[in-house]
Amino acid sequence: MRKRNRVFGHTLTIYLRLLGVQLRSQLQYRFSFLLDLLATALIVLVEFASIALVFGRFGSIQGWSLGEVAFLYGMVEMGFGLMDLLFSGFDPPHFGQAVRRGTFDQLLLRPVNITTQVLGSALELRRLGRIAFGAAIFAYGLQHTAIVWTAAKVLYLPLVLAGMVFFFGGLFMIGATITFWTVDSIEVMNILTYGGSYVISYPMHIYQNWLRGFFTYLVPAIFLNYYPALYFLGRPDPLGYPGFAPFLAPVVGAGMLLLGRAAWRWGIRHYQSTGS
Amino acid sequence: MEIIRADRLAKQFHVNRHHRGVWGSVRNLFSREYRVVKAVDGISFTIDRGELVGYLGPNGAGKSTTIKMLAGLLVPSGGEVVVNGRIPWRERREHVQGLGAVFGQRTTLWWDLPVIESLQLLKHIYRVPARRFQDNLETFEALLDLGPFLDTPVRSLSLGQRMRADLCAALLHDPPLLFLDEPTIGLDVVAKERIRRFIRHVKEERGTTVLLTTHDLADVQKLCERVLIIDRGRLLYDGNLDTLQQQFGGKRELVVEFAEVYETVEIAGATVADRRERQVTYHFERNALSASQLINRLSRRYRITDLAVREPDVEATIRRIYEERLLE
Repeated sequence: MRKRNRVFGHTLTIYLRLLGVQLRSQLQYRFSFLLDLLATALIVLVEFASIALVFGRFGSIQGWSLGEVAFLYGMVEMGFGLMDLLFSGFDPPHFGQAVRRGTFDQLLLRPVNITTQVLGSALELRRLGRIAFGAAIFAYGLQHTAIVWTAAKVLYLPLVLAGMVFFFGGLFMIGATITFWTVDSIEVMNILTYGGSYVISYPMHIYQNWLRGFFTYLVPAIFLNYYPALYFLGRPDPLGYPGFAPFLAPVVGAGMLLLGRAAWRWGIRHYQSTGS
Repeated sequence: MEIIRADRLAKQFHVNRHHRGVWGSVRNLFSREYRVVKAVDGISFTIDRGELVGYLGPNGAGKSTTIKMLAGLLVPSGGEVVVNGRIPWRERREHVQGLGAVFGQRTTLWWDLPVIESLQLLKHIYRVPARRFQDNLETFEALLDLGPFLDTPVRSLSLGQRMRADLCAALLHDPPLLFLDEPTIGLDVVAKERIRRFIRHVKEERGTTVLLTTHDLADVQKLCERVLIIDRGRLLYDGNLDTLQQQFGGKRELVVEFAEVYETVEIAGATVADRRERQVTYHFERNALSASQLINRLSRRYRITDLAVREPDVEATIRRIYEERLLE
């Protein structure tokens, strides 16, 4: 037990040191960092402005106000951005390159847990721009909705964010695992990650049944954001799921992360038996 | 005491058949056609502690597959391998703690970090005690002349500087075993010599076991007492470099400068390979007669002003072994 604790402590300090390396490395390129930050922030802003324009025209989307959609949208930007920051090392195109260039082999030659090393191999600081503007849009949403805050809601909010980080992090891990075999199929994963995060930025009752069904039963992203939002905003459930549905976000997130981890471990075993 | 034991070690890969074109890429998704490539085909050898062994073979012979299995990156598909008393892939972390590796083509250091910070990070990764780290760093700094670029980011180093930094990084945690894959590739003569001196030091002063793969046979000639030669996944030769030379070294050369132009210069035991006025080149077999015997025979008949004996070089020997398949 004590030995396990020591290994864990070592792993954690190495993780933090590796993140420190990423931080220092990227701050050497201050100008390009600022440009990147600006660019990602602009993208978020333009995307949200285009939504706001639609609202200017129609007033609401199937009963949801701009403020309520801002709540949804801001949550996803923050959650996905945070995930993108922390799981940069598993970003499939990035990881696929590490495998092909042999840098992944270099990680396997070091006496530290391999998952930790991949997590510490990249930290895309420019995602901070996305997170910051997501937070701004979220704040706008809070101002323009009348959420009745309770202690439970305040405590649950970070868990919803964590759920999204875990969920998309798990998908990134699965995507990274696939690159052990092929880099051609990354697009399929993009549909789930980027497509999924886009889909859950809107109130999901607006979608056609097949699309909503896909993101409920196959990839249960509906529970990550839409259902928690119903709870926070105090809206009735138009789809008639059980009352605990809004509280599934952390469970669904943790489930996807576990699935990702299982795939990842299996992938590494395969890699060690075949090379690339 | 053996540190590496490979017993009928084998690795085969399944290479998927690739179909071309649009229809081909659709077929690739579903096709299970493949052919089996035997990258390493049952090789056995042992390496003792403190040995410096050259591992040679043409491209695609199975060298890097072997090294990857010894390093624990690949799981063998047959046979056994034990390194440092462990099965490499089964206990990866414990195994790599006792291993240093330099792959000449890529660096283990962090690209944007000054060299010294990379080394300090590795100190934490390998849990090197502070005192030990300091001692080792001082030693390597002096031997490899790291001082001038310790504070330079790795991305700005020259190839030779990077290789020296990588060598230092691979040895900070005192591994008993060091894998060097093409450590002198792309370097100039002076830089090569410095690296060789360092490798010799590591073997002699620290007792580190070194397994060296290289295309530069000068490395082998200057460093290794023992070589393993592999081709097409099979071990062709395991032994002394001198013995290899004697067995397969081909013909020695004697270049003679005579005092005058003789009409016939034929002599028993040697063949005339080249003749330019007073200068004649003879080829003779090492096993048939010695250089002094030949010189004796010649000087009895002709007046000689100058002569030189040329040994066949290792490079030519090994090329001959590959090309003429002498060892199969």
